[in-house]
Amino acid sequence: MKGNIDSLSDKKIKRASLLFMGLAHILYLKDYLKGCVFALIELLFLAFIPKMIKIINNLITLGTPKPHLPIFQRDNSTYMLFDGIITIIFILLFFFMYYISVKSARKSYQEYKIIGRKKGIKESLADITTGSFPFFGLLPALLLVVFFVLVPLIFSASVAFTNYSAPNHITPNNVVDWVGLENFRMLFGGDTLWAKALGRVSLWTLVWAFLATATCFFGGFIVAVILRESRIKIAPVFRGIFILPYAVPAVISMLVWQNLLNGSFGTVNRTLMKLGIIDNVIPWLGDPWLARFTVVMINLWAGYSYFMLLTTGSMTAISQDIYDAAKIDGANSFQVFRKITFPLVIFQTMPLLVMSFTHNINNFGAIFFLTGGRPVVADTATTSAGGTDILITWIYDLTINLQKYNLGAALAVMIFIILAPFAIFNFSRTKSFREGEL
Amino acid sequence: MRTLNKIIIYVFLVLTAIFTIYPLLYVFSAAFSKGQSISALSIIPFGDGIHFNHFRYLFKETNYLKWFRNTLIVAAMTSALTVLVASLSAYVFSRFHFTMKKTMLMTLLILQIFPSMLAMIAIYVLLLRLRALDTLWGLVMVYVAGNIPYNTWLVKSYMDTIPKSLDESARIDGASHLTIFFKVILPVASPIITFLAIVTFTAPWMDFIFPKMILRSAEKQTLALGLFGFVTDRKSEFGSFAAGSILVAIPFIIFFILAHKRMISSFGAGAVKE
Repeated sequence: MKGNIDSLSDKKIKRASLLFMGLAHILYLKDYLKGCVFALIELLFLAFIPKMIKIINNLITLGTPKPHLPIFQRDNSTYMLFDGIITIIFILLFFFMYYISVKSARKSYQEYKIIGRKKGIKESLADITTGSFPFFGLLPALLLVVFFVLVPLIFSASVAFTNYSAPNHITPNNVVDWVGLENFRMLFGGDTLWAKALGRVSLWTLVWAFLATATCFFGGFIVAVILRESRIKIAPVFRGIFILPYAVPAVISMLVWQNLLNGSFGTVNRTLMKLGIIDNVIPWLGDPWLARFTVVMINLWAGYSYFMLLTTGSMTAISQDIYDAAKIDGANSFQVFRKITFPLVIFQTMPLLVMSFTHNINNFGAIFFLTGGRPVVADTATTSAGGTDILITWIYDLTINLQKYNLGAALAVMIFIILAPFAIFNFSRTKSFREGEL
Repeated sequence: MRTLNKIIIYVFLVLTAIFTIYPLLYVFSAAFSKGQSISALSIIPFGDGIHFNHFRYLFKETNYLKWFRNTLIVAAMTSALTVLVASLSAYVFSRFHFTMKKTMLMTLLILQIFPSMLAMIAIYVLLLRLRALDTLWGLVMVYVAGNIPYNTWLVKSYMDTIPKSLDESARIDGASHLTIFFKVILPVASPIITFLAIVTFTAPWMDFIFPKMILRSAEKQTLALGLFGFVTDRKSEFGSFAAGSILVAIPFIIFFILAHKRMISSFGAGAVKE
């Protein structure tokens, strides 16, 4: 018996474990518990192969129209797409398990060579319970992320390559088909109105995100510096007031502003007219350019508190020694600010500024509740994109109101592309990446 | 010169304060006014006197209390589940080595940048099949899943700073992984856990898109949906909207004013650590 195992080579273990999951565990290592679990996984996988072939086939065709059948018996393309994506993930997971099983067999063999005897059932069980803690600890998070984040994102990216849209391709009445790059062709050049709207909205999204971040940062920073440098006694009172916009939920404050800024009966215009400052109403949210300006200003109202807190925090963290040294060198307070405070605060808050920029690219609430994407511009009747619409609010319109899921998804892909560099930036600034290990 | 400076500073601060308070003043004014419409609202704050009819209307004739209760349930469940799931996976990522760990961490980092909103159609289809449409737990699942990628990283980074000798000494005493997690790591990580709990508790109060998509029936609505319903294109009940809003906003405002000193120092501490 001993000779039998001694003559084993690593190669033999590898071959057996590659042939069938768990085979090496059962045949050579006599680790029946692990071996049976692995074998069971492979058997289950084999049993489901016919079903999986059907699902993958459905994913490729997305169903065929069956108008003669009642609605609930027709092919449902969205379900097929969904099941297809999940099945592909399960197949990948299976091959991953396969890889784990081979690795585990080889590792047990190495251990056997060192300790010189096989492990009993008890030890094997103990191995599994401690070894599988990472697996069970991550399981809830993994399931949630895979089903509610990863699969949906893949799904919506896939929809960009289909014709899933009202009125003729809405499940469950009709089927959806793959159309390749058709949607992108339409958005980028096929129809000039759409191409123009896409260019306009994408540009405004970037300009908006930049202005929104910059105004809030500098607004908050200036207020923080003044409160700190002026040394007035009631600074805490002002700080308490300035924090209020941060405390009020955005849905509420944006809807309030929308009503106050209403063209004909809003409080702002009525007050200005009563005071005799203006004669005619100002279309705060009615004129495209003025509305864009207003949106940025109201966002400044909502967002400067956060940066006031942030910069106050990072200024307190700057060591007093630097300031003392500067004073000895005879620097005046403006020089101190320009050469010390400003660069240090910028440096410290840079990652948060980038985060805030990406947040503003997707800042649905600031646009939707204030203007709803309006006012109407030349191409709005066809594309539904208004003067202040950013990509994400346009996606909302296209999906929820017009049910043009395919175009909404194509725009979502655009957002993926815009955000990808920031995802990489995020990764490169993590401590573990910089230190070379994760 | 010095007094001139002081005057300029005061003028700036007072103007900023007026700009900040302006809309809030009118919300309070409208909440206690008699009429519904914004056009009838006096331009002098509280110029219409103080009435309580909007509050009476909210509690007697609308589902305001139900909306409040639903939102509270969703927020509390989201917060509790996010803390549990994210901190457990953060613990695993921080303390164990296993295959694909690096890939998983990178995937989470990339996923956290995309808002769940981009995938709303797929989430709708998924909830439809799980029979979770028009249920509060369906909404909670969506929120918790969306919270995990970023917050797992957040908590993991914090746990990485807790010395490993702490769990090792507990292990020598025979504690299991789970015991170490609950009895040793979680208490030490309580600052970040508290932060996470608060942030994930406040977010659902303000969200609109997912409740709108998932919750259909009248008695399942959340506050954001209900309040939005007062000021749609079709009707304008600004008075009731304002009354309902201040009831939500006041607890938030009190909390923020009490906590803002602490927030400043935590921002400062975070900046130093970076």
